[in-house]
Amino acid sequence: MAAIIERSELPEDRPTVTYRSAGDRYVLVEYGAEATVDLCANFFVHAVARRIAACPIPGVAETAPGLRSLLVRFSPRQTSQSAVVEALEAVHHEVPPPSSLTVPSRRIVLPIAFDDSTSREAIHRYLITVRPDAPNVVNGNNVDYVARYNGFADREALYSTILRTEWWNAFTGFYPGLPSLLPMDPRCKVAAPKYNPARTWTAEGAVGLGGPCIVIHPLETPGSYQLLGRTLPITDLFRNERSRLLDPVLFLFGDRVRFERVEESELIELRRQVFEGTYEYRIEVGQYSIAEHLAEVSRVSDEVRSRHLELTAAMREVKVP
Amino acid sequence: MTSTGHTDRKTVPALEIVDPGLQTTVQDYPGRLGLQSLGFFPAGPADHLAFRVANVLVGNRPGAAALEIPRGRFHAVALCSGLVAVCGASGVDVTLNDRPVPTWQAVPVSEGDSLRCSVARGPGFRLYLAVSGGIAVPEVFGSMSTFLVGGIGGLDGRALAPADVLNAYAGRTARRRGYRLPVDLRPRYTSDWEIEILRGPHADPEFLTEADYKELLSNEWRVDVSSDRAATRFHPHRFRWARDSGDIAGGHPSSVLDGCYPLGGILAYGDTLTVLGPDGHVSGGSAVVATVAHASLWKIGQLRPGRDTVRLREIDLDQAAGLDEHAQFILRPEQLEPL
Repeated sequence: MAAIIERSELPEDRPTVTYRSAGDRYVLVEYGAEATVDLCANFFVHAVARRIAACPIPGVAETAPGLRSLLVRFSPRQTSQSAVVEALEAVHHEVPPPSSLTVPSRRIVLPIAFDDSTSREAIHRYLITVRPDAPNVVNGNNVDYVARYNGFADREALYSTILRTEWWNAFTGFYPGLPSLLPMDPRCKVAAPKYNPARTWTAEGAVGLGGPCIVIHPLETPGSYQLLGRTLPITDLFRNERSRLLDPVLFLFGDRVRFERVEESELIELRRQVFEGTYEYRIEVGQYSIAEHLAEVSRVSDEVRSRHLELTAAMREVKVP
Repeated sequence: MTSTGHTDRKTVPALEIVDPGLQTTVQDYPGRLGLQSLGFFPAGPADHLAFRVANVLVGNRPGAAALEIPRGRFHAVALCSGLVAVCGASGVDVTLNDRPVPTWQAVPVSEGDSLRCSVARGPGFRLYLAVSGGIAVPEVFGSMSTFLVGGIGGLDGRALAPADVLNAYAGRTARRRGYRLPVDLRPRYTSDWEIEILRGPHADPEFLTEADYKELLSNEWRVDVSSDRAATRFHPHRFRWARDSGDIAGGHPSSVLDGCYPLGGILAYGDTLTVLGPDGHVSGGSAVVATVAHASLWKIGQLRPGRDTVRLREIDLDQAAGLDEHAQFILRPEQLEPL
């Protein structure tokens, strides 16, 4: 039996689809070209997932988006792999191509304290217990390393880039509620290599950068992304009665977040309000038009190209962990 | 008496823990399924077969909450009369008030009885203890399973500790009928396992070479000592790989852009093959070269870390369905011997 069940070219500007066999209960569907982080492919993944949620496929139990893929779990007692692939192929023809998609997308505003004391504490523990000569730690922090890796003059330039764009939650995964965020403004693309080896402790609320993604740690866990700072709690797995979070998990796929810079003392006060149940998370329900996104991307394409060259040139000068 | 929020069934104190052993947890089956897009893997028993058998033997539904006891060494006192059954790893001495009792069969207990399990010498690694009525803990996101990383489910989201008291659902407990699983139908435990897999999603020819894939099936994989409910790791092995690098997804050819993983997926995490267990992480950027057949996942839960070896055998969808049917067959009460 082959790993690839089928490949399919879809009409108009829809991405190419590869159906992969993932055991006797899952099909993994991949969209578009393998090695590009393409928001359009991710938008299409979301549209497909929402379509299946609205019009269930018999025997399909759940779907879970990735950056450019959708994991589809089915019950072999109710359907078969080939029937699932056939039904998915029909859905792919029904979902409009990315350029004419409008997807539900909430806007969330979160405070961020850059290079805060818990990030430094995690880095300090890493130096003591795991790797004292980690090249990604400069003066006890990761921020200066990340600034240099991205070719910024200083950390302030890194901060303003992160604050300037909205970030798109491509999917929620790894740990419960952990968002993988990509910049919506392609000029604000930043990147970082991962820790090597991984860090054994990260604070809840830590904001990290690895590859092209920013993540927020929902729990105290190990981690391997460079630490940028800290924000509010983003999951409430214990269903604190006073919690103002509507769901146990703040971030659903397709949500957008904008970070607002605060001092650490202010963040600690806001976190206290969350735990006391007096903080109202700033969430605005809305839609997102992919056509407008694409128009904006093509308008700034020259700037994106030069930023990309800057980034790749800077990367080469910096030691990878 | 207390009742859980989800059902209004009455519960009674059933077990008081004297020695919980290494890391005993409350699990149910199939666990917290359906929440992968929010970042939850299902939790639930690492060996879903012995777990369900234990439940059926004491007259419960197969998925009712029960205890998972890795490596044995467990001691509890019964707080009410009913049935208990211990299934799973072999080479274990189970006693009730210091008198030996058999595994793979229901045993009547009365209030005050002392139930002990020795360390499991193996083969096999995990024991399952079911009590009639089923363990009663609050459901968290649709399941009673303990997820230790998130600190949710089970008893306060943690492994059991001495002096914990577990409740069970009350009901017709005393009149419930017990069973024994005939020896022929018991799963076979060994030190050298053969585990059924299905190829992909990321196998040859794009990711592994044909020769790599042959090695995947012909190698005798040693189970690493650092294996747990989240991941079972095999000894490191350098594949040739059919591509030079993972491009922007990362330097190693096993890197792909992040996506969600199937339960039982065999990841190439750099040069280390890793089988995702019930507490595994939901997504990541590693190629999944093969996926363990769902019916065979129980074997992963019985591998002894640092001790057992594994050969992977490729099967197709029809054979996987056959294995599923066999598991269902064992779980049918008419296959069991009434006591």
